Amino acid sequence: MRITIVGGGKVGYTIAENLANEKHDITVVEAKASVIEKINEELDVLCIKGNGASVAVLKEAGVEKTDIFIATTSRDEVNMIACLTAKSLGAKYTIARIRDFDYTDEIDLLTHELKIDLAINPESATAASISRLMRFPDAADVETFYHGRIELVGFRAHDDDFFTERSLGAVGERLTNEPVLFCAVEHKGITSIPNGSTVIHSGDKVYMIGATENISKFFAKIGRNTRKVKNVFIIGGGRVATYLSKQLIKAGTDVKIIEQNYDTCVSLTEMLPSAIIISGDGTDQNLLDLENVSKYDCFLSLTGRDEDNIIAALYAKQQGAKNAIAKVNRQNYLRIVDSLEIDSIVSPKLITAYGIIRTVRGMLNSHGSQMLSLYKIADGEAEAMEFVVSRSTKHLGTPLKDIRMRPGVLLALIIRNGVPIIPEGMDCLKAGDNIIVVSKGHQILDINDIYDD
Amino acid sequence: MSFQIAGKTAGSIMILEAACMSTGLLMSIIYGEDLRPFLYSIGILLLLGLPLYKIGKRSKDKYSVKGGFITVGLTWLVLSAFGALPFLFDGHFGNYINCFFEAVSGFTTTGSTVLSDIEPLSKGMLWWRSFTHFIGGMGVLVLVNAILPTAKDKSHHLLKAEIPGPTSDKLVPKLSDTSKILYGMYIALTLIMVLCLLLSGIGLYDALNISVATAGTGGFAVKNLSIAGYYNIAAEYIISIFMFLFSINFALYFLMLTGKVKQALKSEELHFFLGLVFAAILVITIKITNIYGLADAFRYALFTVASVVSTTGFSNIDYNNWPALCEVVIIILMLCGACAGSTGGGVKSARLVILFKTLRQEVAQYIHPRAVNVVRYDGKVLQEKTVNSVLRFFFIYTVIVFSALLLVSLDGFDFRTNFSAVMTCINNVGPGFGAVGPAENFSALSGLSKIVLSFSMLIGRLEIYPIIILFTPSAWRKD
Repeated sequence: MRITIVGGGKVGYTIAENLANEKHDITVVEAKASVIEKINEELDVLCIKGNGASVAVLKEAGVEKTDIFIATTSRDEVNMIACLTAKSLGAKYTIARIRDFDYTDEIDLLTHELKIDLAINPESATAASISRLMRFPDAADVETFYHGRIELVGFRAHDDDFFTERSLGAVGERLTNEPVLFCAVEHKGITSIPNGSTVIHSGDKVYMIGATENISKFFAKIGRNTRKVKNVFIIGGGRVATYLSKQLIKAGTDVKIIEQNYDTCVSLTEMLPSAIIISGDGTDQNLLDLENVSKYDCFLSLTGRDEDNIIAALYAKQQGAKNAIAKVNRQNYLRIVDSLEIDSIVSPKLITAYGIIRTVRGMLNSHGSQMLSLYKIADGEAEAMEFVVSRSTKHLGTPLKDIRMRPGVLLALIIRNGVPIIPEGMDCLKAGDNIIVVSKGHQILDINDIYDD
Repeated sequence: MSFQIAGKTAGSIMILEAACMSTGLLMSIIYGEDLRPFLYSIGILLLLGLPLYKIGKRSKDKYSVKGGFITVGLTWLVLSAFGALPFLFDGHFGNYINCFFEAVSGFTTTGSTVLSDIEPLSKGMLWWRSFTHFIGGMGVLVLVNAILPTAKDKSHHLLKAEIPGPTSDKLVPKLSDTSKILYGMYIALTLIMVLCLLLSGIGLYDALNISVATAGTGGFAVKNLSIAGYYNIAAEYIISIFMFLFSINFALYFLMLTGKVKQALKSEELHFFLGLVFAAILVITIKITNIYGLADAFRYALFTVASVVSTTGFSNIDYNNWPALCEVVIIILMLCGACAGSTGGGVKSARLVILFKTLRQEVAQYIHPRAVNVVRYDGKVLQEKTVNSVLRFFFIYTVIVFSALLLVSLDGFDFRTNFSAVMTCINNVGPGFGAVGPAENFSALSGLSKIVLSFSMLIGRLEIYPIIILFTPSAWRKD
């Protein structure tokens, strides 16, 4: 497929990197020469220098033959004009990153008028991701499938958990009451798809999938905190904080926001009447103590600086905040943060990039089995995706024990008539089922890719 | 740069070379000649290449920028060192230094030879000589990239180092597709040339040899008198035209094929190149009309200019005794060389265009000291980095020319011979003047000179850095 990406920043780069590895023809339009040079050296894509909203530049990039046009510059207006121009030149599907608060309420009108097929808002997506994390405060990642009824949760194994230091085969019976499945294990930075003989060690990051209520029960059983978050402490009053606070306040959670810029504080007070807004430096430890950071269920650092966010979250955790989540945008920090005390990290840029990649993958396959969702887990080492089984799927009705799967691919869950089934040897696939597949090291674009034949 | 990945590179190049060499074997089988030179060479290549490839295959290293340059340099050294084997086993060429010179001259598309009499060579051996031009012309790593799926390797560096010119642009998003398109156009043009030559009355074997040698802008011929040996005026015109065609940037052909003819014709490099060519033909024709008469003078001037500027090195006349002005024009053409992104050698017209523009900008700066100036090329502002790298390139090129000249002068030939030998080698042309003129050869030079000139050819073909970096100790350190 021919894909044009305008803007080679973090989002554009991540999208280009992932899609180029999936053998698409990628053209990146970017104005900055230094960015072009980096992309040219690192990725197998074509780079065009220039303003992505200009007709001449877009023509040079061959936009008239583009299947998917993605505008991800830092400026909403450029993205919108780029999409409009691309569409009128003949691009088939346009995606724009639109994040400004002023546009969000009229987004439907805007996208319709500008013929944008998909508008992506990184900040509101991040807010949604944080609010999912807050439901399982001990989890580092939470992704949802099947209209939110199935969850994939990543968390660290402790040495007092009943499932550590022995093989999963032996643990199996204790999981039968609330059917959940371990679907990926990250041990010392190496991710693998577990089987019966896999042993989970203390400190490993494990990923578990199951119905939402079963996951909750499992967490209760291992004594992890499933208590509802009652109050939240946020530093940095940017867009993510605003979107999130709106949701939290609606759900009855107390919110306190520390923001440095006084004018921002004023407008936050106008928008969020029931939140406590404090004007001050969120990285000032005296101020955090003064505002009783240790008493909060959840601490969120959402300022614009990754370093501040990490340090502040570490401090809050040290002071006794039950759960700390930090916003980290730079991809090379993610691995470092993994080894720290911070419970979870969110990265708006990665969330956006993966969101767009999911859309592209879904479009690729619109004729075969449809991909409903795709998440990258374990720092992008593995992928979890949901498909609908169609008539074109192979081996329908054959017991799974008679089918050879590709190594590194796990059929994690079958959802039949709304009931999740953890597949066993005698189960089989039927048309109309939803299935969730976890894969490491393979690009699964269609259900039939999971079979080893 | 780990030795594992170097091993993998060397191994795969040796296997590929064995495959290329088998075409020579095939020729020898067809003409019922002695098969041993090729059988031995292919055997040695496979015996060494396969284990090396196996060892290196386990390496998971990726090509870095530095690693890319080392890989390119290494590839060409391996290619030349083993490409010399058939010549060594054949026996006509003498010692290994001669064979190495001949092989380097082939792969770098120079076309300088150490043989005074090439006609007794077997058909297989002559074909291998010509075919090395074809392999070296578009580049062996471009070929590797076109046929092997290397999606995850950051191999853009490799191609950058092998495709000549100040900047390298991909034609289409994917590198492997770019390589395939380049080779596709290369092969198609070559086949058209074979057809044209057949129509002009040249035999199939000779037409194939001349075509692959022209395609790579090489210059090894199958007759002692080069193209003059056919006494075929139509063929001379055909070859002249194709020499020009192969010295034009292939990206322009791609633009034309995709319907962007206007954009292709706007290329500043093309204008400069054509201007230079017309001026040179005009000057030489005028100067030699009183010797040959107008019709022949034009034919000789056209062919010689095409041959030199495309850095092919065929000849249809011995221009050793032309007036001095013609010699200077020919030396200038050698230096200028073909266009960037073609199969020709030389400094490349694109660089000269940039150099002249920089000069103009510099003068303008003296007139208006506070003026803000940029260098534009094809309507786009050039980055200062690109301009600076062109300036540096030209300086290093000059340094290398004079260093090589110093070493070659040890042999005691006259200045005209020495200078033209160095210029013809570093620009991958072929013949020079004096003792290395079109009717002469390089056999009289000493072993040292042959080695110096061999490396000059490699430096010229790979545009300096890949060879220089091979001899830089810090490039081989692990960090």
